[in-house]
Amino acid sequence: MTTIAPAPLSGVSFSGILRSEWIKLMSLRSTIWCYGILVFLTISLGLLFGVSIGIDGAALDRDTAQTLAVQAATVSVSFSQLVIAVLGALVITGEYGTGMIRSTLTAVPTRLPALFGKVVVFGATTFVISLVAIVVSALMSAPLLAGNGIEADLTDPGYWAALVGAAGSLTLIGVFATAVGTIVRNSAGAIAAVLGTILVLPTIMQIFAAITAAEWVVNLGAFLPSNAGSRMYAYVSDAPAMDPFGIGGLVLEPWQGALVLAAWVAGLLVLASVLLKRRDA
Amino acid sequence: MPYSVGVMIEAVGLSKHYGATKAVDDVTFTVQPGMVTGFLGPNGAGKSTTMRMIVGLDRPSAGHVTVNGKRYAEHRAPLREVGVLLDAKAVHTGRSAVNHLRAIGATHGIGRTRVEEVIALTGLQSVAKKRVGGFSLGMGQRLGLAAALLGDPATLVLDEPVNGLDPEGVVWVRNLARHLAAEGRTILLSSHLMSEMAQTADHIIVLGRGRIIANAPVADIVAKSTGTAVTVRTPDAARLAQLVASPEVTVTTTEPTLLIVNGLTAPQIGELAAREKVVLHELTPTVGTLEDAYMQLTADDVEYRSSNEGI
Repeated sequence: MTTIAPAPLSGVSFSGILRSEWIKLMSLRSTIWCYGILVFLTISLGLLFGVSIGIDGAALDRDTAQTLAVQAATVSVSFSQLVIAVLGALVITGEYGTGMIRSTLTAVPTRLPALFGKVVVFGATTFVISLVAIVVSALMSAPLLAGNGIEADLTDPGYWAALVGAAGSLTLIGVFATAVGTIVRNSAGAIAAVLGTILVLPTIMQIFAAITAAEWVVNLGAFLPSNAGSRMYAYVSDAPAMDPFGIGGLVLEPWQGALVLAAWVAGLLVLASVLLKRRDA
Repeated sequence: MPYSVGVMIEAVGLSKHYGATKAVDDVTFTVQPGMVTGFLGPNGAGKSTTMRMIVGLDRPSAGHVTVNGKRYAEHRAPLREVGVLLDAKAVHTGRSAVNHLRAIGATHGIGRTRVEEVIALTGLQSVAKKRVGGFSLGMGQRLGLAAALLGDPATLVLDEPVNGLDPEGVVWVRNLARHLAAEGRTILLSSHLMSEMAQTADHIIVLGRGRIIANAPVADIVAKSTGTAVTVRTPDAARLAQLVASPEVTVTTTEPTLLIVNGLTAPQIGELAAREKVVLHELTPTVGTLEDAYMQLTADDVEYRSSNEGI
């Protein structure tokens, strides 16, 4: 019987999967559009904030100045997280929608490395691009704020921690969407579910909190993914500003916000992994 | 289970149930290297589902299927073991052909050189940098074949590979399949084109309603199913029909002077007619075609039959 002599050739490797996912991510227009919009929003809103916010008369205390400086660089996050959430969902649901997933899963039949590779590549790319955009926005808006009488202290580690936290929050929201996309396997459904969680749920909780004036509702709301994420880029001393209804209640520290959002992401990734492994593709 | 030398694909008791529907029902077969094995059956017979189970996309409800002695997912370099074309739409429409192939190849460390090779082999050079969304069905099939060949695999599983190809493309796929088999590779391909199967396959597995109806060399299937039909033309048709009548013989009539006899050979009928002094105008053993054989085999197993009732 004739046989093909197997040459000593390379098999599946995680570095190969990372490279594959990088090629996939960078070869689609939706990626370029979403990251382009993210960078544009981050820098343009930072500049807008820088030219439009100013004070007359008395000098600001240091915390308020730092808070405003952080806000200038991160004011875009509540918008750009929607863009990243859409992209995060699309990186997996785009494969289900087109049938590409079958090519992906025949190349990596153990399946989970393909999902983890996707999460690592998309997460790392999102983190680097958003961090660069936020830092550029910070460096451009700081002189504008200074011209308006708001002198930020750029040597303050808390200031930089907030900027890194903003990039981290965007990244986790993006991966959150990827996990939801893996579970839902449909672009429209996944995007609706994620935007619903980010946009609609916090608003509902806020209305509910205002009506009931109950502390537990506020506390519960603090654990929503987008609320927890937004704590990641709060300047540490601005906590009182987060109590708009005077109800009191829980305010998460930035690191606690990061843990809560990371827990959401981890939980959904576990569910996504189980389903990906179990379901027919 | 002893490892059988020379068997590349081995399915044992393979089943796939969707609720009460048995898409594949306790199927056992082997596919040998060095030849083209055809997978034949009407729509819904379970061909695609079986192929999807071979590469682990669908999980069997029962039984198992191995390629070269291991489950597909257990191979260290699955793309180098099995190349698969399940449908031409396993491609992201927003990506160019070359990036699609680079992305798949990258998982196995397959680089640009091999990607360029399969693009040249499948004749996709002119569209390689175009987005796949604008591809015709035929170009999509070529891209699917390029992806299947990427790992230079010892086994190829091709679901309807000629679907949507122009005549030149059909001939190309046929020659490619025969060439790859001649190199000692294992080729399993499905087609709903019986004539295609007759020209391409050496061995045929016929599926109907999820079960194997026939599993034999092409020539055997043709001979077994239609070898005994004889066309007889005689002015005395009614009398001859009575003379040949027996439990093993079936006679069908479509014209007053024409009989089609199953169960007797042409010499037997001729001798009987001579003895009984029945004039014969024609006595022709029917040469079976694979298409006839297929229709005969699957007559009871067509899931979606076009109905002629009420006409």
